[in-house]
Amino acid sequence: MRVDGEQGYILHTHAYRETSLLVEVFTLHRGRVSLVARGARRPHSAIRARLLAFQPLWLSWFGKGGLRTLHAAEWQGDGGSLSGAALMCGFYLNELLLRLLPQDDPHEGLYGHYAQALRDLADGAEAEPVLRRFELALLSELGYAQTLTHVAGSGEAVRPAGHYGYVLERGVVVDPEAGPVFAGRTLLAMAAGDYSDPRTLAEGKLLMRLLLAHYLGDKPLATRQLLVDLQRI
Amino acid sequence: MKLPGTLEALIDALRVLPGVGPKSAARMAYHLVQRDRAGAKRLSDSLKAALEKLHHCERCNNFSETPVCELCSSPRRDPRLLCVVEMPVDLNRMEETQAYKGLYFVLMGRLSPLDGIGPKEIGLERLLKRAQDGVTEEVVLATNYTVEGEATAHYVSELLKARGLKVSRIARGIPAGGELEYVDAMTIAQAFTDRRPL
Repeated sequence: MRVDGEQGYILHTHAYRETSLLVEVFTLHRGRVSLVARGARRPHSAIRARLLAFQPLWLSWFGKGGLRTLHAAEWQGDGGSLSGAALMCGFYLNELLLRLLPQDDPHEGLYGHYAQALRDLADGAEAEPVLRRFELALLSELGYAQTLTHVAGSGEAVRPAGHYGYVLERGVVVDPEAGPVFAGRTLLAMAAGDYSDPRTLAEGKLLMRLLLAHYLGDKPLATRQLLVDLQRI
Repeated sequence: MKLPGTLEALIDALRVLPGVGPKSAARMAYHLVQRDRAGAKRLSDSLKAALEKLHHCERCNNFSETPVCELCSSPRRDPRLLCVVEMPVDLNRMEETQAYKGLYFVLMGRLSPLDGIGPKEIGLERLLKRAQDGVTEEVVLATNYTVEGEATAHYVSELLKARGLKVSRIARGIPAGGELEYVDAMTIAQAFTDRRPL
């Protein structure tokens, strides 16, 4: 099978065999795909410099099953570039995709959210709201996050002044027996992607951590650990 | 057929080399013990000597046989400049240019969050100590222009600036003798972003 000029981003690259690279990409129509860039680690490889994360590319590959061969990567044009702390946020987004998104599972909506998050980060937007919006988009797209605007079971609309709990796999509940309590206002603002209220940011972070911790399992996020380690120096 | 234990151990040992699988390892092992026993002896001796004698230089972290390497103890180098590179090969490239007369620090890696390589895995704390020797005036960051190299440069510069040191980064852009017509679009875009006033 041959795929030509598919839109995609590089998530990560690993050395593969003596002179090749194993490239993990996230594409618009094909989802996450692993490709081999043959000879990309040779001294004068033309393709290597283009296999840069966070840049929108046109990718072409052939082959089927596990080992598909990347034969062209063209830069789409300026998507902005991440620098400084925004770069680490970019790594975080990529780590979430690598950890949670299965291979060959297209998610066009999520691709749009990812591209938007990278543009926002490149434009110097405040990082936390960008990360929270992407986390919720990712978890919702994968079916891990339930609706935040209605109560699970009854379908009753969430009231801004109410207080709610969140139960994994079920969603918003009215009388939480245990766990953190979220303001109805927070849940509605998160659903709308509005993080202008500091309280939405704080409670939103708590809810996203709760969900991510469950679906990521025991292995901690390397990007988070790296920031913790840097703080200690 | 069962191989003699020592031969099997040799084949297994050769597989530590990057890109060497079971077949190449077996070919190498047979070559060494059958066709080139003198070469095998030399390989074995030099490997043993290298492992015994090579250490990291106390100052620059590069490989050295002495506690402080030749470059770090040279009186002809400018001790006010400290250039940070990822790997020893990067240091060699810088030296080939003969454009730089200061001293070095070799990180022996780069921060790579997705590979689990953090500040503990590279010589970050040693670099901070080294840069604060009271003589260093400017730290030049010459890590690669990959996303990992950029992240490393960012965090190293934050840590050094917080300690009152002057930090600079090697420039990127159109290569020497480069003609726009033949330069990669991404490189031109970056060169435009990083343009400087004249």
